[in-house]
Amino acid sequence: METLVGLNCSTVECTSPTAPIWQDILAQAVTGELMAAMNYASLSEICDDPEEVADALEHAQIERGHAARFAAEGRKIGVDVSNNVDAKHWKRLREAFLGCITERDFIGCLIVQEIMLESFAVASYARVGKVASGSLGTTFASIAAEEEEHVDHAMAILTAERALDPQRFDDKVYRLHLDVMTTLAKMLAKECKDGHCEVCHATCVKPALFDVRLSAAELRGASLQQYLKTLDMLGIPGEVTLTWVAQLPV
Amino acid sequence: MGSSVAGLDFALIGHQESWRAAADVLAVLRGAERSRLPDDEIKDILPWIPPRVVCHVEVGSIDDAKIDRAQARGIYIDSFIPPDRLGAGYVHENIARVRAAAACAIKAGAKIVSLGGFSSILIEGNFDQLPERHDTAFTTGNTLTVGFIVQGIKKMCALEGRNLRSSTLLIVGATGDVGSGCARCLAPFVKRVLLSARNVERLRGLAAELQAHGVQVEIATGLQQFSAEADLVICAASLASPSLLLGRVAPDAIVCDAGYPKNLSPSAQMPGAKIFFGGLGQITGGLRFTPDFHGILNRHPFPDVVHGCLLEGMALALEGRFEPFSQGRGFITPERVAEIEAIAARHGIYLAPLYNADGPVQDTLVCETEWSSAENPHPSEAWMGHPEG
Repeated sequence: METLVGLNCSTVECTSPTAPIWQDILAQAVTGELMAAMNYASLSEICDDPEEVADALEHAQIERGHAARFAAEGRKIGVDVSNNVDAKHWKRLREAFLGCITERDFIGCLIVQEIMLESFAVASYARVGKVASGSLGTTFASIAAEEEEHVDHAMAILTAERALDPQRFDDKVYRLHLDVMTTLAKMLAKECKDGHCEVCHATCVKPALFDVRLSAAELRGASLQQYLKTLDMLGIPGEVTLTWVAQLPV
Repeated sequence: MGSSVAGLDFALIGHQESWRAAADVLAVLRGAERSRLPDDEIKDILPWIPPRVVCHVEVGSIDDAKIDRAQARGIYIDSFIPPDRLGAGYVHENIARVRAAAACAIKAGAKIVSLGGFSSILIEGNFDQLPERHDTAFTTGNTLTVGFIVQGIKKMCALEGRNLRSSTLLIVGATGDVGSGCARCLAPFVKRVLLSARNVERLRGLAAELQAHGVQVEIATGLQQFSAEADLVICAASLASPSLLLGRVAPDAIVCDAGYPKNLSPSAQMPGAKIFFGGLGQITGGLRFTPDFHGILNRHPFPDVVHGCLLEGMALALEGRFEPFSQGRGFITPERVAEIEAIAARHGIYLAPLYNADGPVQDTLVCETEWSSAENPHPSEAWMGHPEG
């Protein structure tokens, strides 16, 4: 279990039959935010520019804040929100990021975190924000908007980098895509074919998502759409990225 | 969406007509080494794909006099309109998709863009809904579609030994761009014209236009209202079933399915009807897709057959005429049809062999004759060997 932030969860009696579903959705969100915080903290260690160091540390702090806000939403509906950055898929994503850190590949780090993981976060949170009521929905929607906003800075850096050597840049994105997006695609599959994800508190939450007007297919579709649009903004040819996405596992 | 493509002549905007077709496209993209996606996964994933380039297209001309235009380079952009979302309830969503596809074509630097299938129907009366464009011309491609429908009707009459002059022609969807264009082109050659559409005012306007040229015209919003039986039928709007024509047209009527999507098939209820798919042309100067989508994006029983609407953009690109040849609704005249037919023919784009859902409607001998009439039996392969290619 991750210990970067103290979420101070307390067990409160669940007041809604859908609370256990939200509990698992929030657990995935908290885990993702904590991993993002860890990634930004790691990134700060390889930045040469002090401004970039400060940026990375600030982002790490923001992501911790998001995790805390999600955990707080859990408490409001009477559930403990756990997290597990060592869960198999999340761990694999973290390892992919750490691979870039090891190579001191700043651009690679941005591609993994800002293009791939944030696409997933922005799209998923936005969908959840639309169906969740009250402050739960507001929190998801506002965090989605915040995540989207801070992608802009990275996009500027990445667009400039691509302009230097588009083919080299696209090859790098593809290499990372094969690793990170394949893992994300497995996480987003309609059924968890590789067994329990190690984040949901009991059985897999996916079949129950319909009870809160969500579906695993919708979250996957929205995430892949966001990813494709982000790659479009970088200028990677649409026919290339279409092939990449079409070849992902389902 | 991507960036501009150097030397791009044309862009084709389309979408898949069926889930089977969509599955085949995704199978090509996944590659032979990966398993095909299950149908339910395709239905879940496809609606989320933003419009984008699917492949590059090269079309060859047979016009040796214009060496610099011996081929044109283009892209195929799929709007990824889901096959089960062509209905009225999805108009706004689909227009947004066509707009996004158009933006993609503009960004890629296409000089001319053809709007295929449902895309042109959505936009034909509303070209102002397309994104701002500077050096990119848009055409619905409807003029060449009309040309091939009319050619098909004439050819089918000749094959069946029918006299066009003594025929009664029914056009379903008569006030649309394609329907009204067909009416203008064929009315002078038939005995009587029956026009059917939902909008009475537009029907009256078209009837008055034709009557001013001495054509005998009847209009109706329902087929049962006509006083005469048609022996020639053009369905410019999709019918749910050929049986809807049952009892409204001659039992041995020639029926051109020119609707979109094409869904009329020979029916046990109308065994004598001669149904064929209209508005299709065939490229004889070569057609190449990269990646290879031959027979996937153009799913026809004959090679290098493409919808007329898309062929119009290709023909204009080969001709070097990057202009909005077909725009708006109701402006298709016999003169414009003759002009685009001449351009297409100059570059080896002709009426496709006639067929329907059951296969070719001509006998084998006729088909073979058509094949051998082209300069090469396998035009795309021959063209790929062209020194300029």
